[in-house]
Amino acid sequence: MSTLVDDLLNQTRTAEQAKYTSKDFQSDQDVRWCPGCGDYSILAQTQRVMPDLGIPKHKVVFVSGIGCSSRFPYYMDTYGFHSIHGRATAIASGIKMARPDLSVWVVTGDGDGMSIGGNHLIHLLRRNLNIKVLLFNNQIYGLTKGQYSPTSELGKVTKSTPYGSIDYPFNPASLALGASSTFVARTMDRDPKHLQAILKRAADHRGTAFVEVYQNCNVFNDGAFFQFTEKESKDDNVVFLEDGKPLVFGKERDKGIRLNGFSPEVVSLKDGKWSVNDLLVHNEKDTTLSFILADMTYKPSLPRPVGIFLAINRPTYEEEMTRQISFAKEKRGEGDMSKLLNSGETWVIN
Amino acid sequence: MKANSEISLMKGNEALAEAALRAGMQAYFGYPITPQSEILEYLAVHGTKRGAVILQAESELAAINMVYGAAGAGARVMISSSSPGISLMQEGISYMASAEIPFLIVNVQRGGPGLGTIQPSQGDYFQATKGGGHGDYRLIVLAPASVQEMADFVFDGFRLAEKYRVGTMILADGALGQMMEKVVQPPMGSLPLAEKPWATAGKPPSRERNILTSLFIQPEKMEEVNLKLQRKYREIQSEVRYEAIQVEDADIILVAFGLAARISQKALELARHKGIRVGLVRPITLYPFPSAILSQIALSAEAFLVVEMNAGQMLEDVELAVRGEKPVHFKGRMGGMLPSPEEVLREIESIAAVHAANSELIS
Ligand SMILES: Cc1ncc(C[n+]2csc(CCOP(=O)(O)OP(=O)(O)O)c2C)c(N)n1
Ligand code: SF4
Ligand SMILES: [Mg+2]
Repeated sequence: MSTLVDDLLNQTRTAEQAKYTSKDFQSDQDVRWCPGCGDYSILAQTQRVMPDLGIPKHKVVFVSGIGCSSRFPYYMDTYGFHSIHGRATAIASGIKMARPDLSVWVVTGDGDGMSIGGNHLIHLLRRNLNIKVLLFNNQIYGLTKGQYSPTSELGKVTKSTPYGSIDYPFNPASLALGASSTFVARTMDRDPKHLQAILKRAADHRGTAFVEVYQNCNVFNDGAFFQFTEKESKDDNVVFLEDGKPLVFGKERDKGIRLNGFSPEVVSLKDGKWSVNDLLVHNEKDTTLSFILADMTYKPSLPRPVGIFLAINRPTYEEEMTRQISFAKEKRGEGDMSKLLNSGETWVIN
Repeated sequence: MKANSEISLMKGNEALAEAALRAGMQAYFGYPITPQSEILEYLAVHGTKRGAVILQAESELAAINMVYGAAGAGARVMISSSSPGISLMQEGISYMASAEIPFLIVNVQRGGPGLGTIQPSQGDYFQATKGGGHGDYRLIVLAPASVQEMADFVFDGFRLAEKYRVGTMILADGALGQMMEKVVQPPMGSLPLAEKPWATAGKPPSRERNILTSLFIQPEKMEEVNLKLQRKYREIQSEVRYEAIQVEDADIILVAFGLAARISQKALELARHKGIRVGLVRPITLYPFPSAILSQIALSAEAFLVVEMNAGQMLEDVELAVRGEKPVHFKGRMGGMLPSPEEVLREIESIAAVHAANSELIS
């Protein structure tokens, strides 16, 4: 039996099979990020991916909080909310519950999403509403001009930590997994192909999709991720997670990740001691493995895992909500307000 | 920055931050927001090396509750933000009012409502003086009109907060925070720390343990707590401060606070130049409000003109004080716009014209 949500979703997919191009998703607003900012690429890839999703534009809404990243909705030719610092996830939840037929996207920053908005974020992930969360992680507060954020590394010197940060940073992927997110991924502004692929997968996921995007803030935190994004260093410092494939990396594809007990370690495939068959094979459906992989993030001896950590199915909140409403109606009837008011002891006053 | 009193050229936000260190502030909790992030940033550099705890919290909500904790443990604590952040703090402010925790809070206002603009505004007057959070409580509210006062009021703020065990707010605006002026900083350590026997700073055998709470389930007890607070607020009425400029012979009295008072003073000079007798009352404490002086002036002056950077908030307090004795006019700009002295002058002239016509009718 299909639910209301199914019906609505199907409707959105079939009603308008309009063939959009990325241009159709560009608004008439001047894009006002600093020249060279990583946000431009994320915007461009999102606009490129949207036509492939087959969702009519009038069924799409982008919701942001406050930050440089949060200017995003102005630039998408869809519906948009530029909302409250930290609250986009809660506002998006309201939208999705009122209108499950809409395709709801949250754009947030590391400060917006995990500092002031950390509470709402984890509860959205836990509820599993069908909302896509794009967290632009630049490890800094961009809009307020360079204070540290909850992803700034230990020792980071910023305007508000002139002697170095002593706050241990969040690892967004681990945080999302810990909050029982059903889809957790990491991608990068400077890898357009990967970024597009991850956005598509996130869009297709049925439930909350959490996507961390490494984003270069070239003004206040330039090069924070260059190790992982630049040609010279990328291959040796990043391991791309691919479902069903062993974890191989390195310029020569000569290194791999092997599990030693529960601990991942780097092994060489060159000296004959280990082969591809000894390597850890990724499985997007394995929650335990997802924790192990996400935990590699800040370990200096390990390459940075990038890709989809976890993609599993669990009923969405709106499905459950619709089911519960139908159940309650069926069980107790629609209800009649005047009947209720006139039930029990009533008086007539003349 | 040396520790003795000295003259320097400083931004309002930085002058305030430096003053806080000189006033013996032991802890500061904040969160970046324009136009006041310099307070956090200045303190991060200069406070840490002078032994103060300076922390950027995860939100204003966290920051105000860190204040609750640190001030409750007896420390001299300051917090600052700008309008949207102050809104987030209202819950903590109300709880601290009930638990009688002294603290200093700085609002460098920007235009609202909502995210609004980063330009200066006085739109938070109601929130600051009438509550903002829930329940019957007040903050002492000081309104600086210069960089010098941004610094001086930090001392007054801590002193009053600790004297009455209340929160004191410095209600500034984005222009005062960002403008540079000469400022004389008071010497370091000129505000000694007093005993705080109520604080949760360990239990000596000589007394009962201290528990800080704002929960009083029994209505009789809750009313008692409220009555105590109200007694305190009545006592605080004695702390009223204002500045009266050329009011003795004035026909038209301008009433303005903060930056609007500076603009009004300029307009006053322009009007005097044109032979219109104008005076200015500048409330320095917005709570307690200088009602008495306004009631008194209402007997001699002909009309009032309230000038604010909002839609008319202090206006209501002026109307209450004047009690319909004389007409009260209003000139305001909103959303980060400032009224110009010329705009205020035009308003003065039209009031003067009406007034002249009226007196001709009478005579
Ligand atoms: C309640 C509130 N507090 C503070 C601010 C100021 N503020 C705006 S964005 C921001 C942080 C932005 O950092 P991030 O979320 O990482 O986004 P980025 O600019 O780096 O993209 C802050 C502190 C605000 N707008 N509202
Ligand atoms: S400050 Fe940084 S994040 Fe913001 S637009 Fe400029 S480069 Fe981008
Ligand atoms: Mg950021």
